[in-house]
Parts: sequence; structure tokens; C-alpha cells
Amino acid sequence: MLQKTSPEIGGMGHPVKRKEDLRFIQGKGNYVDDVHLPGMVYGQMVRSPYGHARIKSIRTDEATKLPGVLAVITGQDLEKAGLSWMPTLFHDKQMVLATGKVLFQSQEVAFVVAEDRYTAADAAELVEVEYEVLPVLVNPHRALDPDSPILREDRDEKTNHIFHWEVGDKQATEKAFQTAPVKTKLDAVFPRCHPAPLETCGCVADYNPATGRLTVWETSQAPHAHRTLFAIVAGLPENNIRIISPDIGGGFGNKVPIYPGYVCAVVASLTLKRPVKWIETRSENLQSTGFARDYHMTAEIAADREGKVTALRVKTLADHGAFNAAAQPSKFPAGLFSICTGSYDFSAAFCEVDGVYTNKAPGGIAYRCSFRVTEAAYLIERAMDALAYELKMDAAELRLKNFVPPGKFPYRSPLGWTYDSGNYEAAMKLALERVGYEALRKEQEEKRKRGELMGIGISSFTEIVGAGPAHSFDIAGLKMFDSCEIRVHPTGKAMARMGTKAQGQGHETTFAQIVAQELGIPFADVTVEEGDTDTAPYGLGTYASRSTPVAGAATAMASRKIRDKAKKIAAHLLEVGEEDLEWEPGKFYVKGAPSKAKTIQEIAFAAYTNLPPGMEAGLEAVHYYDPPNLTFPFGTYICVVDIDKGTGEVKVRRFVAVDDCGNIINPMIVEGQIHGGLTEGLAIAFMQEISYDESGNVQGGTFMDYLVPTAVETPTWETDKTCTPSPHHPIGAKGVGESPNVGSPAAFVNAVVDALSHLGVRHIDMPVAPWKVWKILKDKGAVE
Amino acid sequence: MGMKIEKAFQVKEPVDTVWKFLSDPRKVAACVPGAEITEALDSHTYKGSIKVQVGPSVTDYKGELRIERLDDQTHEIELVGKGQDVRGKGSASMKMSGKIRALPDGRSEVIGVSEVNVVGILAQLGARVINEVSNKVFEEFTANFQRQLQQEHAARLKPSGLGAAPQVAAAMPQPGQGTPVGPKPIKAIPLVFSALWAGIIGFFRRFFR
Repeated sequence: MLQKTSPEIGGMGHPVKRKEDLRFIQGKGNYVDDVHLPGMVYGQMVRSPYGHARIKSIRTDEATKLPGVLAVITGQDLEKAGLSWMPTLFHDKQMVLATGKVLFQSQEVAFVVAEDRYTAADAAELVEVEYEVLPVLVNPHRALDPDSPILREDRDEKTNHIFHWEVGDKQATEKAFQTAPVKTKLDAVFPRCHPAPLETCGCVADYNPATGRLTVWETSQAPHAHRTLFAIVAGLPENNIRIISPDIGGGFGNKVPIYPGYVCAVVASLTLKRPVKWIETRSENLQSTGFARDYHMTAEIAADREGKVTALRVKTLADHGAFNAAAQPSKFPAGLFSICTGSYDFSAAFCEVDGVYTNKAPGGIAYRCSFRVTEAAYLIERAMDALAYELKMDAAELRLKNFVPPGKFPYRSPLGWTYDSGNYEAAMKLALERVGYEALRKEQEEKRKRGELMGIGISSFTEIVGAGPAHSFDIAGLKMFDSCEIRVHPTGKAMARMGTKAQGQGHETTFAQIVAQELGIPFADVTVEEGDTDTAPYGLGTYASRSTPVAGAATAMASRKIRDKAKKIAAHLLEVGEEDLEWEPGKFYVKGAPSKAKTIQEIAFAAYTNLPPGMEAGLEAVHYYDPPNLTFPFGTYICVVDIDKGTGEVKVRRFVAVDDCGNIINPMIVEGQIHGGLTEGLAIAFMQEISYDESGNVQGGTFMDYLVPTAVETPTWETDKTCTPSPHHPIGAKGVGESPNVGSPAAFVNAVVDALSHLGVRHIDMPVAPWKVWKILKDKGAVE
Repeated sequence: MGMKIEKAFQVKEPVDTVWKFLSDPRKVAACVPGAEITEALDSHTYKGSIKVQVGPSVTDYKGELRIERLDDQTHEIELVGKGQDVRGKGSASMKMSGKIRALPDGRSEVIGVSEVNVVGILAQLGARVINEVSNKVFEEFTANFQRQLQQEHAARLKPSGLGAAPQVAAAMPQPGQGTPVGPKPIKAIPLVFSALWAGIIGFFRRFFR
């Protein structure tokens, strides 16, 4: 058990206010677009209007003639420097600026640089590109048809098939299905959506010819990895590259990849020897940067007549767009999708995924999600409801019957994961009690008699976060450890730096609280800094809920190294042996004589002024943490909806979210994360989709069509928690930022389907827009 | 992005007069705001252009227009056109059919069905803006059609029979003439603003449900 610190120290469990908010609420954050350098010029992309076309010619003379234009860069120019293609994060390559063919609408074709942003935008209009329009492929189900166009001419394999991946015991699963008395099958699409962070992507690239150094301010969730990739791709010495991720206005996975705009800005700065700024517009962000999901899934469950599940079979078609730019560990083509057995104790399972190319934007990033966990959680939670209908059994009862029992942890899943800890039943029972489940079912029954539509949806998800153990996790070859370096100054104040990079998560507060917990230095005295590759230790960045599981652990471990040294200094100061000392947060005291004590501040001063003979000066430590396993947060969400029969509008009446993320660092921040994630989940379930028409036009390319919920659409979230610490994490924490986005879509859809189940409705694909519901009501004869 | 627009409007002139006008794509094109016919390749195929402006971005489609079907008996015409923006901002194709029906009072009704497919920047603006733009285009087209038909009809009724449709003729490229001053593009930006304004009003309405 962790010792509770005083509110002044503000260690783990204290709901202290976020340090970073002081500057944010004053409008004094420092984002990439706030960076202004002397002599800075601006870049603007010219983009393809076509989903699939051959470039016949690009004429730049008119654009170049415009006063104020400094350069127009095309793919041919980059080709000469060997930079027209760049590697993606997943065994593929991607065009920086198109040569030959364009493969998706809004693809980068040319980069205009001008003295100001307006001139750059005007000049981009003057670049003349002649295209030969080619047949477009937007439906992944047609990708492998013999009459479909082959999109990627650069590949040796003349097919749109990218990969086949399978995991599990196929034979055992088939056998279980052959003998099972009850089987259910669900086809579900997790539509293409986009994280749409408040701040779009952008950078300022500044090459200094005098020092030979390149500094790039960049909207990056993984600045160190970007530095290494820039060094490898552009052939620059890594010591001469400095990536700075300043304040970031939301990332959600969208800011993990390297985008052509960054590369073009760097090339332009190297060429012009001036700082070059490139900032995306909202439409550019929605149309060309990392999308999420686009998984076309089928799940089958085998069970006995009492509702005990035996086997799960999953087949999925993954639409990766024009390039496989999925940002995920390199051994997992479908990310951690094989967590799809969820919270349930299946004895056999088999999962296969095929990836295909289409004429859509590249990506497949993990939108507030640990690499396809959202798709997996949605599928299993929808499929469990389908099974409940098949069995005519209550959805809660079915889940309780099939949970992995608390005594079975660490639990080895049939698809190969070892769940660290869990108590699914406790979380669900709390959620059922909080929502008043039985009364709601009675109310639903009565309302049905009156012809009113009300539904209750349950999702008892399990996540897999904190990538990850070096033996199997890497991004582009870089092992997925993370790091923390702490320096305690002579006056007892500390500076902590990590390899992660917050985008709104509140690391400046929570990591300070971990240091406070471990060293007893008040959290207010600990400054946390991330995002500058010149100063921070190497790390893989912030995404996939990995900051607390990995960098948080590194912070605790680095603190403990400092405490070990502090103990030696304390023994010296108190003139006792180390074994005679006891620790309480903030001081060492002599056993049995609590008044004989040295505070951490006194010890810090001594580390620079009065050291034991032979000891190295200073009080600092660095730790690179390789997690022994991932962590498995979980929870139960229950959603209650009412449906307006006249309009098909779904109103979320109540939403109870019980989360278990192990030991909590800051309950207020956890609650904030859950509120935000649930709101994003609501948007995905009811409003958002990046769809394409048959001609390859993006249909969700502006905020007029890609809707973001406001306070008006957002219901009241009721949150609660259980606590099952991670047994292998130094402070028992698990990671929570993504749980609400992973677990909630199924709860929303389950509630809507439940409201319509008596009409024979078994599934509705997201987004569950009013017109879809209204059409179902009309088709089923429920309205006139 | 495909869309189908069906519109009907009435004119004072009798069917035969209207048919003479409608069956000549050059005359019809001159009524479309932003459009012009630049060259007749043969009796059924024409080269032409249409300009659409959305904000600062002008899309200048150049392409071909072909008469697929022309039925003097039933007074039906079917046109197919496609074009690409000269700067590579996108393309558009359309299939249009027009039909004239006699009304009991001697007037005529023109029934038009257009299937338009747009690829590129215009298409990205989303269905609601495109619909507004096409409504506006149609409104202007109808007014031009009625005015020019009326002028032509009036001219023909003059005893001399000279000077048919001077305005229409002015829009046609004349041999030996320098580069003609192109027609003004359709300005879609006020429409975008009105669509945005509708959106803003809609947003605030949510508070008062």
C-alpha cells in the first residue's frame, strides 16, 4: 500500500489543481503557431482534388512569378534529393509530394513557400496540375476484386492486399463451434473517424546555416522518435536536430505520425536557410492526416444453452487507405485487436485480419486508444449483446456469467495476453447499483406497453495499455521503453523530464505528484518538462495510454534511486547507519527517535554542500523503464437512452461510468479524462464519420459535416470507480485516458439497439444518426 | 459527389418557340451563369467552359458538351457534359435532360432533370452548400432563359425578322473576334455565408429547445 502524503506534499490520490491550467486559462500557452522567428516564411500545400489520378504535368511558373513567393517544391524536386517518399511507421512508404499518381483526395502535390501566409495561399491557387483521372476504389470489400484498379504501382506485389494476420487456435475454435448448441454472428463496421484535435498539425522548421543545427517546433506526440526518423530519412546528424513539442492542443494519436508538411518545411528551410512555418487548416487536418478505425468486422460466439461462452471467432477487413501508415508496434499489423476476447473467459478463440489499400487518406492511428483496442472492445461488447438476444437472456446476467473471475488473475487469454489484474464483477455490480438497473428494466417494460422507446446499454470492457515490454514492442524498431530524469536542486526543489509529451493530459501535475509521493518534495516544488529533445531523456512519447504505465513507472523508479542516495546522505548527516533509518514522505528519521530527522530539502542541500566522503556530488537520477507486462484497465459503462419516435433522435438520459485504472494519481484529472473520452465516444457513436463518395470525395472534410459535440449535446456523466492495482507497476497504476473512448461506443449503440430490440433490430452501424433510427422505425412499421 | 436536381418552370411562349431555343445548346449554355460555349466541334458536340467561385477559389471547368438525344416529336433533349478545372482543382460531369410540355393556356412548362457529379474542392464543401449553389444557379438560369427566350420571340415577331436574340449572339464567339470577354463566374461565396449563418442560427436554437 502507498503511504498517503499530506495535502501540502500532494502525492498520489490528491485532487490537486492542474499546474498547466494557470497559463492555459490566461491564454498564455505556447503552441506551434505561437512561434514567431525573425525572417520566418510560410508554407502552403497544393493538394489533389482526385482520389485516384495520374499527374501529367505540374506548372509552377505562374505561382513562382507572384511577388513574395520564394519557392514551389514538387515531388520531382524532392526526388532529386531522394525525399519524394518517406517510410511510414508500419513497414510501408508514403509519398511526401506526389510523383506519378495521386492516391487520395487532398494528397500533397506541391509545397509553396512565400513571405507571408496569404501570398502562399494565393500562390498555391496558381499552381497548375494536369491530371488524368483514374477509376477510384473506396470500398474495401472491392479491393481484391479482379476488376478493381491496382493502386500501388510502386510495390512489387501487384495487389491491393497489404497483410493477412491471424492469432489463436483455429482448430480448437472450429471444433467448439461444431458442437456448440448456441451460436451468434454479428457484422459490424467501426466507421472511419478522425480525432480532430482542437489544434491542427503544424511545424516551424529552422535550419541555422551558421551552426548547422536544425530546430523543429512540431505538433508531435513522440518528439524523440521523430528526431531519429528525421536523422535516418533526411540523412542529418542526429546531434544537429532538435525537436521541440511545445504546448499541444490535443493529439489523440493524430500527432504520432510524421506528415509530408513537416518534411516539406524542413526541406524548404534547408534550401532557403530561413525558418519555415507550416500550419494545417481544419479541412487539411480532417482530410489528409491520420484517420482512425475503418474496421469491417464479423464476430461469432459459440455458447451453451445456459449462456456460458465457449469460443470466439473474428474475421476483419481493415481499410488502411492509400499507404499503410498505421502508428503501432511493428509486430502487430492489427495492433492489439486480439484483446477482442475482452472481459470474458473464452476457452478458445481465433482472430484474423486482412488489410487492404483504398483511395482514402492514410493512417490507422490509435485515436484515444491503445492500437485497435477500441475496435476490439466495441466488437465483443456488441457481440455479447447479440448473444444475449439469441439466448433471450439479460445482458448484465450474461456478462456476469462469463467474466474472467477475480481468482483467475494473472489470466492468460486464448489469444495470448496475460491480464495483470481485474475484478470485473465488482465494477459491474457497482455500475448496476448506481444506475438502478432493475428499476430501469421495469420502466422499460412499462414504456414498451405504451409504445415508448427506451433502451439500456451495457459495456464491460477490458483494455490493454502501456506499450510496452521491449521483447515484443517497438515503433519503427525503437523499443517502447520510456524514461524520466530528475534533478533535485540544492534548495530542495526539483526538475523532472520525461520522454513522453502531454497534449492536455496534465503530466506537469501528475508526474510532479509521483515525485511528491516518492520523495516527499511538495508537488508545487517539482517542475515537469517534456517535449524538448535537447533536454529530455529519450522516450517513445505519449499515446496508447502509455505515459503513466511506462514513464510514470520510470518517474517512480528514478525517484527511488534518488531516495536511495538521499538515505546515504541522511545517515551521514544523522551519524547513524542506513539500516537505522525510517522513511516517511519528506524525511528520514532515526527508528524510535522521530525527532532525529533530516528532511529531503536538508538532504538535497547537503548533496551539494556536505557530502559523505567519497560520494559523487549532486542529487539526480535517470531511469529507463521497460515494463514487464502491459496493464489492463477495465470498467462497466451503462447508458440509458430515450428515442423520439417522430425524429429518430436519441437522447442519452443517463450514463454511469465505473472505471478501474488501479491506483489513481489525481482523481480530478482522472475524472476529467473520463468526461472528455465519453464525450468523444458520444460523438463517434452518434455524429462522426469520414466517409467517401463513389468518386473519392471526402464527405466529412469540414466541421459542417464532421460534427463535434458541444455542451448542448453532451449529457451529464456519472462517474465512479473501483480500484484493482496493477501488481507489476511500481505505483500500481494502469492508465486511464483512453478507457472512456474505448468502452463507451458499445454502451451507446447497445442502448439504442436495446430500445429497438422488440422490433427485431439486432444491430445499427455507427454513427447512429437520427435519420438512420427514423428509417428503421419506418421500415419496422413503428411509425407512420 | 453526385446529386440529382429536378426543376420545372413555366414560360409564356408556345411549345414550338421554346423548343427551338431549348434544342440549341449554345443558347441554353448562354443562360447558365458562368458558362459559355467556345467552339462547335460538329452539330452535336461543343467545347465550353463554366466558372464557379467559392471564396477566393475559382474553379474553371473546361470540357465538352454533347447532345445525346434530340427528339423533335416529344420535345426532349438529353445532354452530357464533362470538364476538368484548368488548374487541376477538380472535375465535373453532368447529364441533363429537358422536356417541354404544353399548358392548356398556350404557355409551356420546361421540365429539367440534371444529374451532376463533382470531384474536388467543390465536392468537399459538402452537400448542403452544393445544393444551395445549384439552387441559386438554377434560379439565375431560369431568369436568363425566360428573358432571352422572350427577347428572341419578340424579335422574331417583328416584321423585318432581323436581329434575332442580340444578347445571345453577343455571348457567342464570333469569327475574327479577339479573345471574348468571359462570362462572370458564379459566385458561391455569399451562399456559403448564408449557409454558415443558417448554421449559426441553428446552433443558438439548440439552447432554446
